[in-house]
Amino acid sequence: MTSQAASATWTTRLRLPSLLVLAVVLVVWEAVSRRYGAYVMPSPRSVAEGLVAVVLAGDVWTHAGASLYRIAIGFGSALVVAVLLGLASFLWRPARVAVADVVTVLNATSVFVWIVVSLIWFGLTNMAPIFTTFMITLPVVAANVIEGVGSVDRKLLEMGQVYRLSGWETFRSIVIPSTIPHLVAGMKVGFGLALKVSVVAEIFGVTSGIGYIMNYSREILATQMVFVWALVMIAIMLVADKLVFDRMTRRLERWR
Amino acid sequence: MRLEVREVSKRYAIPVLDAVSLEAKKGEFVCLLGPNGCGKTTLLRILGGIEPPTAGEVRFDGRPLSYGRAGELHVGMVFQEDRLLPWKTLAENVALVLKARGLDQAERRATAERYLRFVGLTGFEEYYPNRVSGGMRQRAAIARALAIEPDLLLMDEPFGSLDAQNRRIMQAEVKRIWAETGKTIVFVTHAIEEAVSIGTTLVMMSARPARVRELIRNDGARDRHALMDHLNRAIMEEVLRQRGPGVADP
Repeated sequence: MTSQAASATWTTRLRLPSLLVLAVVLVVWEAVSRRYGAYVMPSPRSVAEGLVAVVLAGDVWTHAGASLYRIAIGFGSALVVAVLLGLASFLWRPARVAVADVVTVLNATSVFVWIVVSLIWFGLTNMAPIFTTFMITLPVVAANVIEGVGSVDRKLLEMGQVYRLSGWETFRSIVIPSTIPHLVAGMKVGFGLALKVSVVAEIFGVTSGIGYIMNYSREILATQMVFVWALVMIAIMLVADKLVFDRMTRRLERWR
Repeated sequence: MRLEVREVSKRYAIPVLDAVSLEAKKGEFVCLLGPNGCGKTTLLRILGGIEPPTAGEVRFDGRPLSYGRAGELHVGMVFQEDRLLPWKTLAENVALVLKARGLDQAERRATAERYLRFVGLTGFEEYYPNRVSGGMRQRAAIARALAIEPDLLLMDEPFGSLDAQNRRIMQAEVKRIWAETGKTIVFVTHAIEEAVSIGTTLVMMSARPARVRELIRNDGARDRHALMDHLNRAIMEEVLRQRGPGVADP
Protein backbone atom coordinates (compact mmCIF):
# COMPACT_ATOMS: atom_id res chain seq x y z
CA MET A 1 0.00 0.00 0.00
CA THR A 2 2.59 2.54 1.09
CA SER A 3 5.19 1.46 -1.46
CA GLN A 4 2.57 1.69 -4.18
CA ALA A 5 1.60 5.18 -3.09
CA ALA A 6 5.25 6.20 -2.94
CA SER A 7 6.01 4.93 -6.42
CA ALA A 8 2.86 6.45 -7.94
CA THR A 9 3.76 9.20 -10.34
CA TRP A 10 1.37 11.97 -11.34
CA THR A 11 0.39 10.07 -14.49
CA THR A 12 -0.89 7.08 -12.57
CA ARG A 13 -2.43 9.24 -9.87
CA LEU A 14 -4.56 11.04 -12.44
CA ARG A 15 -5.23 7.68 -14.11
CA LEU A 16 -4.08 9.07 -17.42
CA PRO A 17 -3.71 5.61 -19.01
CA SER A 18 -7.33 4.78 -18.15
CA LEU A 19 -8.53 8.18 -19.39
CA LEU A 20 -6.76 7.49 -22.67
CA VAL A 21 -8.59 4.18 -23.02
CA LEU A 22 -11.86 5.96 -22.23
CA ALA A 23 -11.18 8.53 -24.98
CA VAL A 24 -10.51 5.76 -27.50
CA VAL A 25 -13.70 3.94 -26.47
CA LEU A 26 -15.76 7.13 -26.88
CA VAL A 27 -14.32 7.82 -30.34
CA VAL A 28 -14.94 4.25 -31.54
CA TRP A 29 -18.41 4.29 -29.93
CA GLU A 30 -19.33 7.51 -31.75
CA ALA A 31 -18.04 6.12 -35.05
CA VAL A 32 -20.02 2.86 -34.67
CA SER A 33 -23.11 4.83 -33.72
CA ARG A 34 -22.88 6.97 -36.88
CA ARG A 35 -22.26 3.95 -39.10
CA TYR A 36 -25.01 1.63 -37.74
CA GLY A 37 -27.60 3.98 -36.32
CA ALA A 38 -29.01 4.83 -32.89
CA TYR A 39 -31.13 1.69 -32.52
CA VAL A 40 -28.08 -0.58 -32.63
CA MET A 41 -25.67 1.81 -30.97
CA PRO A 42 -26.97 5.03 -29.46
CA SER A 43 -24.48 7.90 -29.46
CA PRO A 44 -22.49 8.71 -26.30
CA ARG A 45 -24.28 12.04 -26.23
CA SER A 46 -27.79 10.54 -26.16
CA VAL A 47 -26.72 8.15 -23.39
CA ALA A 48 -25.34 11.06 -21.37
CA GLU A 49 -28.57 12.98 -21.87
CA GLY A 50 -30.60 9.94 -20.86
CA LEU A 51 -28.53 9.58 -17.72
CA VAL A 52 -29.11 13.20 -16.74
CA ALA A 53 -32.83 12.75 -17.44
CA VAL A 54 -33.29 9.66 -15.21
CA VAL A 55 -31.34 11.34 -12.43
CA LEU A 56 -33.38 14.54 -12.67
CA ALA A 57 -36.70 12.67 -12.92
CA GLY A 58 -35.78 10.52 -9.94
CA ASP A 59 -36.29 7.24 -11.85
CA VAL A 60 -32.78 6.24 -10.92
CA TRP A 61 -33.70 6.12 -7.22
CA THR A 62 -36.93 4.22 -7.87
CA HIS A 63 -35.33 1.45 -9.89
CA ALA A 64 -31.90 1.31 -8.24
CA GLY A 65 -33.73 1.43 -4.91
CA ALA A 66 -35.98 -1.49 -5.88
CA SER A 67 -32.98 -3.56 -7.00
CA LEU A 68 -30.94 -2.68 -3.91
CA TYR A 69 -33.88 -3.54 -1.67
CA ARG A 70 -34.09 -7.04 -3.19
CA ILE A 71 -30.31 -7.42 -2.92
CA ALA A 72 -30.39 -6.28 0.69
CA ILE A 73 -32.92 -9.00 1.58
CA GLY A 74 -31.51 -11.80 -0.61
CA PHE A 75 -27.82 -11.11 -0.07
CA GLY A 76 -28.36 -10.08 3.56
CA SER A 77 -29.98 -13.40 4.43
CA ALA A 78 -27.25 -15.26 2.52
CA LEU A 79 -24.71 -13.46 4.71
CA VAL A 80 -26.47 -14.42 7.92
CA VAL A 81 -26.85 -18.06 6.87
CA ALA A 82 -23.20 -18.23 5.73
CA VAL A 83 -21.96 -16.95 9.10
CA LEU A 84 -24.17 -19.46 10.94
CA LEU A 85 -22.79 -22.26 8.74
CA GLY A 86 -19.29 -21.03 9.57
CA LEU A 87 -20.05 -21.10 13.27
CA ALA A 88 -21.49 -24.61 12.97
CA SER A 89 -18.44 -25.85 11.11
CA PHE A 90 -16.14 -24.37 13.77
CA LEU A 91 -18.03 -25.99 16.61
CA TRP A 92 -18.56 -29.33 14.94
CA ARG A 93 -16.04 -30.73 12.50
CA PRO A 94 -18.37 -33.07 10.53
CA ALA A 95 -20.50 -30.01 9.68
CA ARG A 96 -17.52 -28.55 7.84
CA VAL A 97 -17.45 -31.45 5.38
CA ALA A 98 -21.21 -31.30 4.77
CA VAL A 99 -21.20 -27.54 4.31
CA ALA A 100 -18.25 -27.72 1.90
CA ASP A 101 -20.05 -30.32 -0.22
CA VAL A 102 -23.31 -28.36 -0.28
CA VAL A 103 -21.36 -25.25 -1.29
CA THR A 104 -19.75 -27.16 -4.16
CA VAL A 105 -23.12 -28.36 -5.46
CA LEU A 106 -24.73 -24.91 -5.14
CA ASN A 107 -21.77 -23.35 -6.93
CA ALA A 108 -22.30 -25.73 -9.82
CA THR A 109 -25.93 -24.70 -10.21
CA SER A 110 -26.79 -22.20 -12.94
CA VAL A 111 -28.47 -18.87 -12.21
CA PHE A 112 -31.15 -19.81 -14.70
CA VAL A 113 -32.18 -22.86 -12.66
CA TRP A 114 -32.99 -20.62 -9.69
CA ILE A 115 -34.76 -18.04 -11.83
CA VAL A 116 -37.06 -20.64 -13.37
CA VAL A 117 -37.64 -22.50 -10.13
CA SER A 118 -38.39 -19.31 -8.21
CA LEU A 119 -40.88 -18.26 -10.90
CA ILE A 120 -42.66 -21.58 -10.45
CA TRP A 121 -42.57 -21.34 -6.65
CA PHE A 122 -43.18 -17.65 -6.06
CA GLY A 123 -44.78 -16.51 -9.32
CA LEU A 124 -44.42 -12.96 -10.52
CA THR A 125 -43.46 -11.45 -7.16
CA ASN A 126 -40.59 -9.74 -5.38
CA MET A 127 -39.67 -13.08 -3.83
CA ALA A 128 -38.47 -14.50 -7.16
CA PRO A 129 -35.41 -12.21 -7.59
CA ILE A 130 -34.78 -12.23 -3.82
CA PHE A 131 -34.69 -16.03 -3.69
CA THR A 132 -32.50 -16.25 -6.79
CA THR A 133 -30.03 -13.76 -5.28
CA PHE A 134 -29.99 -15.70 -2.03
CA MET A 135 -29.29 -19.04 -3.68
CA ILE A 136 -26.52 -17.69 -5.89
CA THR A 137 -24.66 -15.62 -3.30
CA LEU A 138 -24.94 -18.09 -0.41
CA PRO A 139 -22.29 -20.56 -1.67
CA VAL A 140 -19.85 -17.76 -2.52
CA VAL A 141 -20.00 -16.15 0.91
CA ALA A 142 -20.22 -19.49 2.73
CA ALA A 143 -17.13 -20.82 0.91
CA ASN A 144 -15.17 -17.79 2.12
CA VAL A 145 -16.41 -18.04 5.69
CA ILE A 146 -15.63 -21.76 5.85
CA GLU A 147 -12.18 -21.11 4.46
CA GLY A 148 -11.70 -18.40 7.09
CA VAL A 149 -12.81 -20.66 9.92
CA GLY A 150 -10.52 -23.42 8.62
CA SER A 151 -7.55 -21.09 8.35
CA VAL A 152 -7.53 -20.08 12.01
CA ASP A 153 -3.96 -20.49 13.20
CA ARG A 154 -3.79 -23.65 15.33
CA LYS A 155 -0.86 -22.18 17.19
CA LEU A 156 -2.98 -19.29 18.40
CA LEU A 157 -5.71 -21.72 19.48
CA GLU A 158 -3.09 -23.63 21.48
CA MET A 159 -2.00 -20.40 23.11
CA GLY A 160 -5.62 -19.91 24.14
CA GLN A 161 -5.65 -23.42 25.57
CA VAL A 162 -2.49 -22.87 27.63
CA TYR A 163 -3.94 -19.66 29.07
CA ARG A 164 -7.31 -21.31 29.70
CA LEU A 165 -9.37 -18.92 27.59
CA SER A 166 -13.06 -19.81 27.66
CA GLY A 167 -14.72 -21.18 24.52
CA TRP A 168 -16.53 -17.89 23.97
CA GLU A 169 -13.36 -15.84 24.51
CA THR A 170 -11.48 -18.07 22.06
CA PHE A 171 -14.22 -17.60 19.47
CA ARG A 172 -14.42 -13.84 20.01
CA SER A 173 -10.71 -13.03 20.23
CA ILE A 174 -9.15 -15.61 17.93
CA VAL A 175 -11.65 -17.20 15.52
CA ILE A 176 -13.72 -14.15 14.51
CA PRO A 177 -10.77 -11.82 13.85
CA SER A 178 -9.08 -14.54 11.77
CA THR A 179 -12.24 -15.04 9.72
CA ILE A 180 -13.11 -11.41 9.09
CA PRO A 181 -10.75 -10.78 6.15
CA HIS A 182 -12.25 -13.84 4.42
CA LEU A 183 -15.77 -12.69 5.23
CA VAL A 184 -15.15 -9.21 3.82
CA ALA A 185 -13.61 -10.69 0.66
CA GLY A 186 -16.65 -12.97 0.34
CA MET A 187 -19.00 -10.03 0.87
CA LYS A 188 -17.26 -8.05 -1.83
CA VAL A 189 -17.49 -10.82 -4.42
CA GLY A 190 -20.97 -11.78 -3.19
CA PHE A 191 -22.34 -8.25 -3.51
CA GLY A 192 -21.04 -7.91 -7.07
CA LEU A 193 -22.65 -11.22 -7.91
CA ALA A 194 -25.89 -10.24 -6.16
CA LEU A 195 -26.16 -7.09 -8.27
CA LYS A 196 -25.56 -8.97 -11.51
CA VAL A 197 -27.89 -11.86 -10.66
CA SER A 198 -30.79 -9.93 -9.20
CA VAL A 199 -30.91 -7.75 -12.31
CA VAL A 200 -31.25 -10.82 -14.52
CA ALA A 201 -33.97 -12.21 -12.27
CA GLU A 202 -35.84 -8.88 -12.50
CA ILE A 203 -36.40 -9.37 -16.23
CA PHE A 204 -39.20 -11.75 -15.27
CA GLY A 205 -42.31 -10.84 -13.46
CA VAL A 206 -41.58 -7.68 -11.53
CA THR A 207 -42.36 -4.09 -12.55
CA SER A 208 -39.49 -2.21 -10.96
CA GLY A 209 -35.73 -2.55 -10.68
CA ILE A 210 -32.82 -2.04 -13.02
CA GLY A 211 -33.32 -5.39 -14.76
CA TYR A 212 -36.99 -4.64 -15.38
CA ILE A 213 -36.37 -1.14 -16.74
CA MET A 214 -33.52 -2.30 -18.99
CA ASN A 215 -35.69 -4.97 -20.55
CA TYR A 216 -38.60 -2.52 -20.85
CA SER A 217 -36.30 0.00 -22.58
CA ARG A 218 -35.33 -2.68 -25.07
CA GLU A 219 -38.97 -3.48 -25.77
CA ILE A 220 -39.84 0.16 -26.50
CA LEU A 221 -36.73 0.41 -28.70
CA ALA A 222 -35.07 2.98 -26.40
CA THR A 223 -31.60 1.46 -26.74
CA GLN A 224 -29.89 4.48 -25.21
CA MET A 225 -31.77 3.77 -21.95
CA VAL A 226 -30.37 0.24 -21.87
CA PHE A 227 -26.92 1.82 -21.86
CA VAL A 228 -27.97 4.38 -19.24
CA TRP A 229 -29.07 1.67 -16.81
CA ALA A 230 -25.93 -0.33 -17.47
CA LEU A 231 -23.95 2.73 -16.42
CA VAL A 232 -26.09 3.08 -13.28
CA MET A 233 -25.28 -0.52 -12.37
CA ILE A 234 -21.58 0.03 -12.87
CA ALA A 235 -21.75 3.17 -10.73
CA ILE A 236 -23.45 1.30 -7.88
CA MET A 237 -20.76 -1.39 -8.03
CA LEU A 238 -17.92 1.13 -7.96
CA VAL A 239 -19.43 3.08 -5.08
CA ALA A 240 -19.95 -0.10 -3.07
CA ASP A 241 -16.38 -1.24 -3.75
CA LYS A 242 -14.57 1.99 -3.03
CA LEU A 243 -16.75 3.54 -0.37
CA VAL A 244 -18.04 0.52 1.49
CA PHE A 245 -15.82 -2.53 1.11
CA ASP A 246 -12.41 -0.89 0.78
CA ARG A 247 -13.13 1.32 3.76
CA MET A 248 -14.39 -1.66 5.74
CA THR A 249 -11.23 -3.61 4.90
CA ARG A 250 -8.95 -0.77 5.94
CA ARG A 251 -10.81 -0.28 9.18
CA LEU A 252 -10.78 -3.96 10.10
CA GLU A 253 -7.13 -4.42 9.19
CA ARG A 254 -5.52 -1.39 10.72
CA TRP A 255 -3.28 -3.73 12.73
CA ARG A 256 -1.51 -5.06 9.63
CA MET B 1 6.16 -24.78 42.94
CA ARG B 2 7.51 -28.31 42.95
CA LEU B 3 7.23 -30.07 39.64
CA GLU B 4 7.12 -33.85 39.33
CA VAL B 5 7.02 -35.70 36.06
CA ARG B 6 6.33 -39.37 36.65
CA GLU B 7 6.89 -41.99 33.97
CA VAL B 8 5.31 -39.79 31.32
CA SER B 9 4.95 -41.47 27.92
CA LYS B 10 3.43 -40.11 24.76
CA ARG B 11 2.83 -41.80 21.47
CA TYR B 12 1.32 -40.48 18.28
CA ALA B 13 1.87 -42.76 15.29
CA ILE B 14 5.26 -43.55 16.86
CA PRO B 15 6.37 -43.42 20.50
CA VAL B 16 7.82 -39.98 21.28
CA LEU B 17 8.30 -39.99 25.03
CA ASP B 18 9.20 -43.17 26.89
CA ALA B 19 8.64 -43.06 30.64
CA VAL B 20 10.20 -39.67 31.28
CA SER B 21 10.63 -38.83 34.95
CA LEU B 22 12.12 -35.75 36.49
CA GLU B 23 11.62 -33.50 39.44
CA ALA B 24 12.29 -29.85 40.09
CA LYS B 25 12.04 -27.96 43.37
CA LYS B 26 10.54 -24.52 43.64
CA GLY B 27 12.70 -21.85 42.05
CA GLU B 28 14.77 -24.19 39.95
CA PHE B 29 15.82 -23.38 36.43
CA VAL B 30 15.54 -26.63 34.49
CA CYS B 31 17.08 -26.82 31.03
CA LEU B 32 15.86 -29.58 28.71
CA LEU B 33 18.57 -30.59 26.26
CA GLY B 34 18.49 -33.15 23.50
CA PRO B 35 18.69 -33.74 19.77
CA ASN B 36 16.25 -31.94 17.48
CA GLY B 37 12.91 -33.67 17.22
CA CYS B 38 13.50 -35.90 20.22
CA GLY B 39 10.33 -34.85 22.04
CA LYS B 40 11.36 -31.85 24.15
CA THR B 41 8.53 -29.76 22.79
CA THR B 42 6.08 -32.61 23.31
CA LEU B 43 7.07 -32.79 26.98
CA LEU B 44 6.58 -29.04 27.30
CA ARG B 45 3.14 -29.28 25.67
CA ILE B 46 2.19 -31.91 28.22
CA LEU B 47 3.41 -29.67 31.06
CA GLY B 48 1.50 -26.75 29.54
CA GLY B 49 -1.78 -28.65 29.52
CA ILE B 50 -2.11 -28.58 25.73
CA GLU B 51 -2.30 -32.35 25.51
CA PRO B 52 -2.40 -35.18 28.05
CA PRO B 53 0.26 -37.87 28.20
CA THR B 54 -0.55 -41.37 26.95
CA ALA B 55 0.68 -42.74 30.27
CA GLY B 56 2.12 -41.37 33.47
CA GLU B 57 1.30 -38.14 35.20
CA VAL B 58 2.45 -34.63 35.99
CA ARG B 59 2.10 -33.20 39.48
CA PHE B 60 2.35 -29.60 40.60
CA ASP B 61 3.00 -29.44 44.37
CA GLY B 62 1.71 -32.98 44.59
CA ARG B 63 -1.59 -32.27 42.75
CA PRO B 64 -2.06 -33.95 39.37
CA LEU B 65 -2.29 -31.58 36.41
CA SER B 66 -5.71 -31.55 34.76
CA TYR B 67 -6.23 -31.11 31.03
CA GLY B 68 -8.92 -29.18 29.19
CA ARG B 69 -10.33 -25.73 29.67
CA ALA B 70 -11.66 -26.36 33.14
CA GLY B 71 -8.15 -26.85 34.49
CA GLU B 72 -6.59 -24.29 36.78
CA LEU B 73 -4.23 -21.67 35.48
CA HIS B 74 -0.76 -22.48 36.79
CA VAL B 75 1.48 -22.30 33.82
CA GLY B 76 2.80 -19.47 31.70
CA MET B 77 4.26 -20.51 28.39
CA VAL B 78 6.58 -18.80 25.94
CA PHE B 79 6.58 -20.54 22.58
CA GLN B 80 9.17 -20.65 19.82
CA GLU B 81 7.07 -18.02 18.07
CA ASP B 82 5.58 -15.11 19.98
CA ARG B 83 1.96 -16.26 19.37
CA LEU B 84 0.62 -12.80 20.04
CA LEU B 85 -2.74 -12.01 18.45
CA PRO B 86 -1.78 -9.65 15.61
CA TRP B 87 -5.10 -7.77 15.85
CA LYS B 88 -4.57 -6.85 19.47
CA THR B 89 -2.10 -4.33 20.86
CA LEU B 90 0.68 -5.55 23.16
CA ALA B 91 -1.28 -4.38 26.21
CA GLU B 92 -4.49 -6.06 24.95
CA ASN B 93 -2.57 -9.28 24.32
CA VAL B 94 -1.34 -9.39 27.90
CA ALA B 95 -4.70 -8.28 29.32
CA LEU B 96 -6.56 -11.01 27.40
CA VAL B 97 -5.04 -13.89 29.34
CA LEU B 98 -5.86 -12.21 32.65
CA LYS B 99 -9.58 -12.82 32.09
CA ALA B 100 -9.15 -16.38 33.26
CA ARG B 101 -7.84 -14.97 36.55
CA GLY B 102 -11.10 -13.11 37.11
CA LEU B 103 -9.67 -9.59 37.15
CA ASP B 104 -11.88 -6.69 36.08
CA GLN B 105 -10.98 -4.54 33.12
CA ALA B 106 -9.09 -1.83 35.03
CA GLU B 107 -7.08 -4.42 36.95
CA ARG B 108 -6.25 -6.30 33.75
CA ARG B 109 -5.06 -3.11 32.14
CA ALA B 110 -2.93 -2.10 35.13
CA THR B 111 -1.42 -5.59 35.41
CA ALA B 112 -0.64 -5.67 31.69
CA GLU B 113 1.13 -2.32 31.93
CA ARG B 114 3.07 -3.42 34.98
CA TYR B 115 4.41 -6.55 33.29
CA LEU B 116 5.16 -4.79 30.02
CA ARG B 117 7.21 -2.32 32.07
CA PHE B 118 8.94 -5.25 33.78
CA VAL B 119 10.17 -6.57 30.42
CA GLY B 120 11.15 -3.09 29.21
CA LEU B 121 8.26 -2.32 26.88
CA THR B 122 6.95 0.86 28.50
CA GLY B 123 5.73 3.18 25.76
CA PHE B 124 4.86 0.34 23.41
CA GLU B 125 1.60 -0.72 25.08
CA GLU B 126 -0.56 0.56 22.22
CA TYR B 127 1.59 -0.91 19.44
CA TYR B 128 0.33 -3.80 17.34
CA PRO B 129 2.76 -6.76 17.23
CA ASN B 130 3.55 -6.23 13.54
CA ARG B 131 4.85 -2.77 14.35
CA VAL B 132 7.60 -3.88 16.74
CA SER B 133 10.71 -6.05 16.35
CA GLY B 134 10.87 -9.80 16.89
CA GLY B 135 12.77 -9.33 20.14
CA MET B 136 10.11 -6.96 21.44
CA ARG B 137 7.36 -9.37 20.47
CA GLN B 138 9.09 -12.13 22.39
CA ARG B 139 9.40 -9.77 25.41
CA ALA B 140 5.67 -9.15 25.20
CA ALA B 141 5.09 -12.91 25.10
CA ILE B 142 7.20 -13.21 28.27
CA ALA B 143 5.19 -10.39 29.89
CA ARG B 144 2.01 -12.30 29.01
CA ALA B 145 3.38 -15.48 30.58
CA LEU B 146 4.45 -13.67 33.76
CA ALA B 147 1.27 -11.58 34.05
CA ILE B 148 -0.85 -14.57 35.07
CA GLU B 149 1.61 -15.02 37.95
CA PRO B 150 2.24 -18.64 37.08
CA ASP B 151 3.75 -21.18 39.40
CA LEU B 152 5.69 -22.55 36.48
CA LEU B 153 7.13 -20.80 33.45
CA LEU B 154 7.71 -22.93 30.35
CA MET B 155 9.95 -21.65 27.59
CA ASP B 156 10.32 -23.55 24.32
CA GLU B 157 13.44 -22.28 22.58
CA PRO B 158 11.98 -18.81 22.91
CA PHE B 159 14.94 -17.06 21.31
CA GLY B 160 15.52 -19.45 18.42
CA SER B 161 14.32 -16.94 15.85
CA LEU B 162 16.33 -14.01 17.21
CA ASP B 163 19.73 -12.89 15.97
CA ALA B 164 22.79 -13.64 18.09
CA GLN B 165 22.93 -10.26 19.77
CA ASN B 166 19.24 -10.12 20.70
CA ARG B 167 19.54 -13.68 21.88
CA ARG B 168 22.28 -12.77 24.38
CA ILE B 169 20.30 -9.78 25.59
CA MET B 170 17.19 -11.91 26.10
CA GLN B 171 19.16 -14.63 27.91
CA ALA B 172 20.39 -12.05 30.38
CA GLU B 173 16.83 -10.76 30.66
CA VAL B 174 15.45 -14.22 31.49
CA LYS B 175 18.18 -14.70 34.07
CA ARG B 176 17.18 -11.40 35.69
CA ILE B 177 13.47 -12.32 35.62
CA TRP B 178 14.24 -15.68 37.20
CA ALA B 179 16.38 -14.06 39.90
CA GLU B 180 13.75 -11.40 40.66
CA THR B 181 10.65 -13.59 40.61
CA GLY B 182 12.00 -16.91 41.89
CA LYS B 183 9.76 -18.78 39.44
CA THR B 184 10.31 -22.41 38.60
CA ILE B 185 11.33 -22.38 34.96
CA VAL B 186 11.56 -25.18 32.40
CA PHE B 187 13.56 -24.02 29.43
CA VAL B 188 14.02 -26.01 26.23
CA THR B 189 17.18 -25.31 24.30
CA HIS B 190 19.73 -27.08 22.21
CA ALA B 191 22.45 -24.56 22.93
CA ILE B 192 24.63 -26.27 25.51
CA GLU B 193 26.51 -23.15 26.50
CA GLU B 194 23.20 -21.40 27.16
CA ALA B 195 22.01 -24.29 29.31
CA VAL B 196 25.21 -24.53 31.35
CA SER B 197 25.35 -20.80 32.01
CA ILE B 198 21.72 -20.44 33.00
CA GLY B 199 20.29 -23.74 34.28
CA THR B 200 20.42 -25.15 37.80
CA THR B 201 19.25 -28.55 36.61
CA LEU B 202 20.23 -29.89 33.21
CA VAL B 203 18.16 -32.70 31.76
CA MET B 204 19.78 -34.48 28.85
CA MET B 205 17.17 -36.33 26.82
CA SER B 206 17.95 -39.35 24.64
CA ALA B 207 17.09 -39.91 21.00
CA ARG B 208 13.43 -40.60 20.20
CA PRO B 209 11.53 -42.15 21.94
CA ALA B 210 12.99 -39.80 24.51
CA ARG B 211 14.04 -40.92 27.96
CA VAL B 212 15.97 -38.96 30.50
CA ARG B 213 19.55 -39.92 29.70
CA GLU B 214 21.10 -37.90 32.44
CA LEU B 215 20.02 -35.40 35.05
CA ILE B 216 22.77 -33.05 36.21
CA ARG B 217 22.63 -30.68 39.15
CA ASN B 218 24.51 -27.65 37.86
CA ASP B 219 25.58 -26.30 41.25
CA GLY B 220 28.99 -25.05 40.18
CA ALA B 221 30.78 -28.02 41.71
CA ARG B 222 31.79 -29.30 38.29
CA ASP B 223 34.18 -27.53 36.01
CA ARG B 224 32.15 -25.65 33.38
CA HIS B 225 34.32 -26.64 30.45
CA ALA B 226 34.44 -30.28 31.45
CA LEU B 227 30.65 -30.21 31.84
CA MET B 228 30.16 -28.65 28.41
CA ASP B 229 32.49 -31.20 26.81
CA HIS B 230 30.58 -33.96 28.50
CA LEU B 231 27.20 -32.64 27.32
CA ASN B 232 28.48 -32.06 23.80
CA ARG B 233 29.64 -35.66 23.59
CA ALA B 234 26.32 -36.91 24.96
CA ILE B 235 24.21 -34.89 22.54
CA MET B 236 26.32 -36.02 19.56
CA GLU B 237 25.82 -39.65 20.56
CA GLU B 238 22.07 -39.12 20.75
CA VAL B 239 21.93 -37.23 17.45
CA LEU B 240 23.71 -40.14 15.76
CA ARG B 241 21.46 -42.67 17.45
CA GLN B 242 18.37 -40.79 16.32
CA ARG B 243 19.55 -40.92 12.72
CA GLY B 244 19.55 -44.67 13.07
CA PRO B 245 22.05 -47.42 12.19
CA GLY B 246 23.45 -47.66 8.73
CA VAL B 247 23.45 -43.96 8.04
CA ALA B 248 26.95 -43.01 7.06
CA ASP B 249 28.50 -39.76 8.14
CA PRO B 250 28.36 -37.24 5.33
